[in-house]
Amino acid sequence: MSVSILGSRESGQNIRDTNVRAVQAVANIVKSSLGPNGLDKMLVDEIGDVVISNDGATILRSLEVQHPAAKVLVELSRLQDQEVGDGTTSVVIVAAELLKRANDLVKYKIHPTTIIAGFRLAMKESIQYIKDYLSVKTESLGKDAILNVAKTSLNSKLIGAESDHFASMIVNCVEAVGVMGASKEMKYPIKSIKVLKCIGQSAKESVHLNGFALMTGRTAQGMPTSIKNARIACLDFNLNKFKLQMGAQVLVNDAKNLEKIRLRELEITKERIEKVLKAGANVIFATKAIDDFALKYFVEAGAIAVRRVDKKDIRKIAKQCGAEVLITLMNNEGEEVFNESSLGSAEEVSEERLGDNDFIFIKGMKHSSSQTLILRGANEFMLDEIERSVHDAICVVKRVLESKSVVVGGGAVETALSIYLDSFARTLGSKEQLAISEFAESLLVIPKTLAINAAQDACDLLAKLKMYHSASQNSSDEKKQEYKYVGLDLANGKVRNNLKAGVLEPTISKIKSLKFATEAAISILRIDDLIELAPKPEKERDGH
Amino acid sequence: MVNMKAANPEKGLANEKQKSIRMTNISAAKAVADTVRTSLGPRGMDKMIKDSKGEVMITNDGATIMKQMEVLHPTAKMLVELSKAQDIEAGDGTTSVVVIAGALLNSCTALLEKGIHPSQISDSFKIAGDHASKILEEMSVKLDLSDTTSLEKIASTSLASKVVSQHSQELAPIAVRAVMSIVSEGDENVDLKNIKVSKKLGGTVDDTELIDGLVFASNHASHAAGGPTRVENPKIALIQFCLSSPKTDMENNIIVQDYTGMDRILREERKYIVNLCKKIVDTGCNVLLIQKSVLRDAMNDLSLHYLAKHRVMVVRDIEREDVDFISRTLGITPIAHVDQFTSEKLGSAKLVEEETVGEGKIVRIKGCSNNSPQGKTASILVRGSNQLVLDEADRSLHDALCVIRSLVKKRALVPGGGAPEMEMSQKLLELSRTLTGAESICVRSFSEALEIVPYTLAENAGLNPINIVTELRNRHTNGDKHAGINVRRGGVSNMMEENVVQPLLVSLSALNLATELRSLILATECVRMILKIDDVVMVR
Repeated sequence: MSVSILGSRESGQNIRDTNVRAVQAVANIVKSSLGPNGLDKMLVDEIGDVVISNDGATILRSLEVQHPAAKVLVELSRLQDQEVGDGTTSVVIVAAELLKRANDLVKYKIHPTTIIAGFRLAMKESIQYIKDYLSVKTESLGKDAILNVAKTSLNSKLIGAESDHFASMIVNCVEAVGVMGASKEMKYPIKSIKVLKCIGQSAKESVHLNGFALMTGRTAQGMPTSIKNARIACLDFNLNKFKLQMGAQVLVNDAKNLEKIRLRELEITKERIEKVLKAGANVIFATKAIDDFALKYFVEAGAIAVRRVDKKDIRKIAKQCGAEVLITLMNNEGEEVFNESSLGSAEEVSEERLGDNDFIFIKGMKHSSSQTLILRGANEFMLDEIERSVHDAICVVKRVLESKSVVVGGGAVETALSIYLDSFARTLGSKEQLAISEFAESLLVIPKTLAINAAQDACDLLAKLKMYHSASQNSSDEKKQEYKYVGLDLANGKVRNNLKAGVLEPTISKIKSLKFATEAAISILRIDDLIELAPKPEKERDGH
Repeated sequence: MVNMKAANPEKGLANEKQKSIRMTNISAAKAVADTVRTSLGPRGMDKMIKDSKGEVMITNDGATIMKQMEVLHPTAKMLVELSKAQDIEAGDGTTSVVVIAGALLNSCTALLEKGIHPSQISDSFKIAGDHASKILEEMSVKLDLSDTTSLEKIASTSLASKVVSQHSQELAPIAVRAVMSIVSEGDENVDLKNIKVSKKLGGTVDDTELIDGLVFASNHASHAAGGPTRVENPKIALIQFCLSSPKTDMENNIIVQDYTGMDRILREERKYIVNLCKKIVDTGCNVLLIQKSVLRDAMNDLSLHYLAKHRVMVVRDIEREDVDFISRTLGITPIAHVDQFTSEKLGSAKLVEEETVGEGKIVRIKGCSNNSPQGKTASILVRGSNQLVLDEADRSLHDALCVIRSLVKKRALVPGGGAPEMEMSQKLLELSRTLTGAESICVRSFSEALEIVPYTLAENAGLNPINIVTELRNRHTNGDKHAGINVRRGGVSNMMEENVVQPLLVSLSALNLATELRSLILATECVRMILKIDDVVMVR
């Protein structure tokens, strides 16, 4: 007799099969977008919004997957996106392949826990092997290495054709925001890079700007478009017509008083503005509203006022130009004043027009470390995708600059690991051996998929790759040792030394994706029961 | 004749009914036990549960699985209650208690078929249960609480069976140190409420840490006015009043009749806030914790601005239920009105600091200098890469804490890996031979039922259960009391020795005597109760 519950229950081999099927389905969706010759997906959501993307994490996030096991995979790609920023597709493909092969092993009557133990061991061995033999220090490769890393990441995206242009832009950008951290190590806070999108012209017209930019215009046309030697005030309060708070009521019993009260309401705001202007401010950023009547005071004073600036942006501006974000004008005695010390300064604040949008540029700030990338593109979808690609590349460049270690791309690492694990498995005399050789076999899914996506002969290329890597691992000849860098050349359907060709990825990305993929596969494999409770019926409403 | 005929079938029917009710009850309860059986032990599998709201949960904890399952059958519900009781009593061993109960019920079926009366079975089980407790007590080993290495090993045994098992090396010492830091010599019990476990998404389970002091995982320092986020040698105050302009009641209104009135209101409001803040600043307070307020804003821009100017760090939205914990940890009294705000009420620490963790922020108070007995608290910050892992890590840590707690309650150990069950089974078998009548048969089935634990452990670990259980039985008959299943090596070995060498791999959810005893007693009680039911009446 089975337990009676409100809902359905599936257990044992059944649930493992269902889980594997669901995971496989998810992986198959993103499979064709892997690599430089991977294709894009067009996703249309329920309200008709279109997303075109090549990024695994973005595709999976938009899919709204229902099956709980498949959700683990979506979560996995999100995690990779968060921790590394790139390699979101490959991590899903590897996890799904691992699961598929593990399930086959279970069918051969090998207990899941044995497989799990084997997978864990294989993962540890591979990470050690990457660290010891496969990673290359960037110092030995020169500046080009970092550029190549960015290019490798961009190559698989929509803007692959313009990867040279974008790669140099991104590398410059990331290098410019570098700061010395507390532990004497360079940190690259990518939050200091602002990426703005602007429709129009081609992707090649995208520019890199040293300074800060806001995607808004000045509030009134009468204001000047450019101010040199700007004195900046950052206000985090409302400049609307003054209103009394809740609970206070205005009771007028004389018609004359009515006008006076109205006037007073305007006046309170006006006094605040005058205090700010008197202190010498000529550029005012406000996070909240500025009333139309209040604009004329700024226009008269020849100042630029910008309203509804994002709070995060205003804090960054304040920090860099030395201003203070004020949430009220109150001083210690409860009076309203505006001190000159709260002002910041910049060489120039100007409004410029790009495409259909106005931008406010702030140049030459005191402690400036901000970089801005303005992306151009023919349409919205393209811009969104460029933004995602640029984000991935920025993350990758940051990782390499911080860890200073890269591995060779194009399936080289996976093949090397596969060969290594296969021989490692043979040194074990237990059931784990089978699990480890399946792990080794699973890793080959990456070069295989890369070749298939590029419409090349996968079997042929894989055989060649394996031959080179096996030669490199079984020989002490120095020339043959170099073969460990051999990877796929997808454009020509050949294999080549990818270290020389400059196909590079950050080591940390490979290590993390291996870890995450294994952990995800294990957590799904450990499940032997799925209990789905029926949704609670909504309570019937009374008929009134 | 006619009368006889009419009476007999009716009586027969009643008997038939009672019997079938008992059988359905037993099989319903057994079905529940079978559900959680596969999650027993270090190599147990996990369950994925999608609840009625569509939320997914992956867990290995018996009590959690049962609670989530929402079983319908009344006796099945009793088993759920049973695991809940175990969770409250011992906090761990929730799966094994259900599995044992299931096995006991199973043996009842056979006994009932033999025609033994239910209450006789029930009484004999009671005798067997009492005897088993004595056996357990005899085979237990005393433990000294100062022996932290053993404690850590016990905690990691509990953690070994969870989803987070590969992190047991990190979590076990945390659990032990947390409990030990709040226990003083001679304590018979530990109030786990004195250990605050906070969860924060991001990082990995490895990053879980025991906090020296206090941590606020969901509050962060107020940035609105650019106040400080790091204060050394802070003077901390916890206030329960609001630093905003007073609000009028619903019915009352402030009436402004003149434009000068507006200015007056504005000025008065500023003055009021400034006065409040001034009093606070004057006492030397530089870290202000503010309780969450529903009726009114706890802070407004004016007060934040003023406090920031005087370099006072503000942490707002402290939950009401945390107030007690915080004030005990810091040795401060919460202040309900500004008039009572005096410098004696301030607490001190070494450092208050806001940290960015993952995507969020936490506030940490380090080096709280409160040593009074009631001020002994511990805080643990649990981390996990996604919500599923985070929740499961929290549950597992709770179990580990409970295990240590039960050791404080009763300072003795028993080996794991199915050893105590096998030992009890053997001893009860001997006992059954000294008895006569139905009692003997019942005690004997009781003893056989206990073998379910080693059997299931072996099965879940992918071993051959028949071989393992028979070997184990053999070792125990030859007097090797501590022989149990070694899951990793796939054989039978001495658990006590194994425990010293490789504590991680020893199985069974808890090594603790109290846990074992209770689970047995609870299981027996529950079985007896189910047995005694002979009718289910559905009332609508």
